Amino acid sequence: MKSRIFTPLFIGFAASLVQSCSKPPEAATKSADQLQGKLVLTGSSTVAPLAAEIAKLYEAEHSGVRIDVQSGGSSRGIADARQGVADVGMVSRSLKDNEKDLQTFTIAKDGISIIVNNANPIKRLTDKQIVDIYTDKINNWKQVGGIDAPITVVNKAEGRSTLELFAEHFKIDTKNIKADVVIGDNEQGIKTVGGNPNAVGYVSIGSGEYAATHQTPIKLLPVEGIAASITNVTNGTFPISRPLNLVTKTTPTGLQKDFIDFARSQQVQDIVKEQYFVPAAQ
Amino acid sequence: MKYKTPYPELLSTAIIWAIAASVTGALLWLLSDVFWHGMSQVNWEFLTQSPSNAGREGGIAPIIVSTALIVGVCLVVSIPLGVGTAVLIAEFAANKSILGRLVRLSLDVLAGVPSIVFGLFGNAFFCKTLGMGFSILSGGLTLACMVLPILIRSTQEGFRAVPDDYRRSAAALGVSRIATLWELLLPAAMPGVAVGLLLGLGRAIAETAALIFTSGYVDRMPESLWDSGRSLSVHIYDLAMNVSGGEANAYASALVLVSFLVLINSAISWLAQRFRQSKILVV
Repeated sequence: MKSRIFTPLFIGFAASLVQSCSKPPEAATKSADQLQGKLVLTGSSTVAPLAAEIAKLYEAEHSGVRIDVQSGGSSRGIADARQGVADVGMVSRSLKDNEKDLQTFTIAKDGISIIVNNANPIKRLTDKQIVDIYTDKINNWKQVGGIDAPITVVNKAEGRSTLELFAEHFKIDTKNIKADVVIGDNEQGIKTVGGNPNAVGYVSIGSGEYAATHQTPIKLLPVEGIAASITNVTNGTFPISRPLNLVTKTTPTGLQKDFIDFARSQQVQDIVKEQYFVPAAQ
Repeated sequence: MKYKTPYPELLSTAIIWAIAASVTGALLWLLSDVFWHGMSQVNWEFLTQSPSNAGREGGIAPIIVSTALIVGVCLVVSIPLGVGTAVLIAEFAANKSILGRLVRLSLDVLAGVPSIVFGLFGNAFFCKTLGMGFSILSGGLTLACMVLPILIRSTQEGFRAVPDDYRRSAAALGVSRIATLWELLLPAAMPGVAVGLLLGLGRAIAETAALIFTSGYVDRMPESLWDSGRSLSVHIYDLAMNVSGGEANAYASALVLVSFLVLINSAISWLAQRFRQSKILVV
């Protein structure tokens, strides 16, 4: 009578302790026993959904392998790959000079496009105008040929590789950007601009093109006169594009190598397209 | 002669009603929004299949299982620790003792710590230092740390609400302290424990920031507590913020999450009531 509720709880607790003690964590096996074991990927939240889908296909073909994809951002991918916390890091930009100690493998490409709300009559912005808007030298759409309304500048949070690529292309020091709204992910940027007729932002072309063709009231502005489209990223004419990379600390071996090769093969091209990215030219 | 309600009274009644209505309205709006967008997606396949195409298609079966395991680990660890600590500071440590004050202070500080800090701590301590890696166990233990202060504080309030007469009567009858605790005080304090559990569980099941760094992002069906598993809230976050075209399934997952919360809340209230009545105390 006494312990009708608590006894089962304690038994459950004890059982889970026994179970957890008897089963040590499986570390990634990179031994001679190839194509067995577990591979851990961490890093860019842009690459993570793509890598997870590739991993699923790979697991389906290799029943002894488990691939765990974790999210967290490009910087984390670099740090984890360096420290050996992850077998492979995911980074959605080119590596910086001080990161060249890592091995890089490009699995896909992505472009960044400037987006505005559909209600905004603006058809194009020059690079200079974009720089001035983001550094608050221009703060009304009237100054760039639009309606008389203040500009809402949507910027990415510090540490996001989209921000780094944007700043690098337009040669803006990120410290000088005066943002009205700071966002984290692409979808958040799309939702912000889609809901505000006076907002301007920048997002991954894949997500942007998907949203624009699926009833979100945004449009993608051309950069340097070249239309922002997946096609133009594929043929290399679009000026702001970034590679989606897998990185490793040392030359990949065994399972690590096999998976990276798989992620760069023809077999995954459909998956890459399904995630609105551009397959890396082979 | 008819009594006429004075004008100021009418006004204040109207204001109070309006305030209450707007609070309820906000909740109803939120619920109906989730229900409206999610209902058409939720069906048996959605609950029993694995996600595919980054979660845009397929279901959420592994995610429901992971969530249940994470919350299970959290509860199995936090209930004994939480109730035990609450008993110590409410019943055994004198109210003004240094120990009691110190524990209470640290609990209040802990309760206010943002969940992302727990996430980073969990990642550093459970995943790396203890070598558990990204696993359901790491996630559950991190959540337990997060839930403990809430659970302990409200359990302690539950004990404080029990009149001292109970303790004196038991002592006068020569009942041992342990028996008094188990048969009398704990059942009497049960409403407090239940409130703590509800708040804690609500916080645990809805947690995103603390889990993305500990239990992780893997949407495969977990095989043991050492596997990484994606929780419902992390799944919703990822679909809504990271996956183009994931919105419909994000709403559907949100609907499932909200339904679970309602079910669990009712279950806990019912269990607490049963426990109270199964003991000598029927109030």
